[in-house]
Amino acid sequence: MPESDSESEILNQAFELGYTYTRSTGPVVGRFLTGLRERQVVGNRGSDGRVIVPPMEYDPGTAEALSEFVDVSEEGEVVSWAWVKHPREAHPSDQPFAWAMIRLDGADVPMVHWVQANREADINTGSRVRVRWAEETTGSINDIAGFELV
Amino acid sequence: MANLAAVVGIGQTKYTTKREDVSIAGLVREAAQNALQDAGLHWDEIDAVILGKAPDMFEGVIMPETYLTDALGCNGKPMLRVHTAGSVGGSTAIVAASHVQSGTFKRVLTVSFEKQSESNAMWALSSPQPFSTHLNAGAGGYFAPIIREYMRRSEAPYNVGIKVAVKDRLHGARNPLAHLQRPDITMKEVEDSFMLWDPIRFLESCPSSDGACAMVIACEELAEQGPKPPAWIRGVAMRSEPTMYAGRDEVNPQAGRDCAADVYRQAGITDPRRDLDCAEVYVPFSWYEPMWLENLGFAPEGEGWKLTLEGATSLDEDGDIPWNPSGGVLSSNPIGASGMIRFAEAARQVRGDAGDHQVKGARLALGHAYGGGAQFFAMWVVGANKE
Repeated sequence: MPESDSESEILNQAFELGYTYTRSTGPVVGRFLTGLRERQVVGNRGSDGRVIVPPMEYDPGTAEALSEFVDVSEEGEVVSWAWVKHPREAHPSDQPFAWAMIRLDGADVPMVHWVQANREADINTGSRVRVRWAEETTGSINDIAGFELV
Repeated sequence: MANLAAVVGIGQTKYTTKREDVSIAGLVREAAQNALQDAGLHWDEIDAVILGKAPDMFEGVIMPETYLTDALGCNGKPMLRVHTAGSVGGSTAIVAASHVQSGTFKRVLTVSFEKQSESNAMWALSSPQPFSTHLNAGAGGYFAPIIREYMRRSEAPYNVGIKVAVKDRLHGARNPLAHLQRPDITMKEVEDSFMLWDPIRFLESCPSSDGACAMVIACEELAEQGPKPPAWIRGVAMRSEPTMYAGRDEVNPQAGRDCAADVYRQAGITDPRRDLDCAEVYVPFSWYEPMWLENLGFAPEGEGWKLTLEGATSLDEDGDIPWNPSGGVLSSNPIGASGMIRFAEAARQVRGDAGDHQVKGARLALGHAYGGGAQFFAMWVVGANKE
């Protein structure tokens, strides 16, 4: 045991660190975001012919650069979902809602977003959903203000 | 080292202030694709990918290597990230080379980058920490007192740094990939430029660049099958020392001297000025040329500046030992890539593939990088011949 408290005291202190940055989206993710601003969901075609939404710059299998853009529907179906019974502050809705994997019509790969539903029993695998656009679109994933059941 | 390895492909981007047209992935991809094309290879002919960049805090993308796997064709392959601050481009190339020299892989792609236009490298270099005064310096503020000490010890004339600043920009004007294109630069213009961190003037400092550099390194058997002459890796070395220990010599760091001695021994070099044909050395601030001329044994201690003033390091003055024929860090500085650019440009020289900045008949070249508080060193010697 140390003889006194002053000898045993090891100092520590909390601190914050923050910097400012810029981010360039590039021609593929940038195309997806400007599409959202115009209320159009854009994907692209992978080397195996599948339509990927949101689009990827490089094929996840072959690493080829992907350039063929494909407009897909704003409607699609729920592939899988998880109900949020008690939304918290950071969640996109203050009412109970579902996180969902949604495969839009014309796409082969599902994307993650959220679905508004009144009750858990209203949503199922295979439920049809449609984009609900934000009142003002800015070129952000939040231009899709969730999906609603069709 | 065990097995022979060689650079068989080199790819770079055009260095510039802002590449707003591409994402970080797109930037890295461009260099990698250029290297594969130079080597006549396709993605599936690469066994592993070794990636380097300066600290994550520069761009604020934590572990960018995880997001870059698809851009670099790493799917189903080993991929590694290397971290050694500003020297990282050099040490990344050495890690890649070691994986081939050891026989672990036959062909490795190595890539490094910085997108300074998206980053905050200046301030992220000196984070405030509790219990100490905020240095708030950036690289120039850190190195300026070390340069002043060099000037005091060597009694070098005041215009040595100005001469390096002009010389490297004239070299850069020969290299279409160089960021700064200043064929008309003058000593007077450099001297009249704003004093940023006394004695470092604005034009004695490196620019902030966006860019990426990539190389393909292959084993002996595959290197001999490439479409272009290989640059044989004749020696690799890295050394480190502590940043904050007041007892170390920051003007002429022991780690730099040891690293050079190691790589020269491997390559059979006894007199670097005589035995090497050119060198690509990390000179981010002009005075680092005379300092490193001494640290790397091209001149006796206190006399490096004489080589600079005599024109020994200048292509335009037909110097016997051109330094930074590509224009060096003073002409292009995508930080994480800058070390690899030195290594790649050394390889371009011995492949006879350096265009208008080719050193005539170059057969043996040094690539050098340093980083941190002049505490991490990485070097390689490449040659047109295997031994």
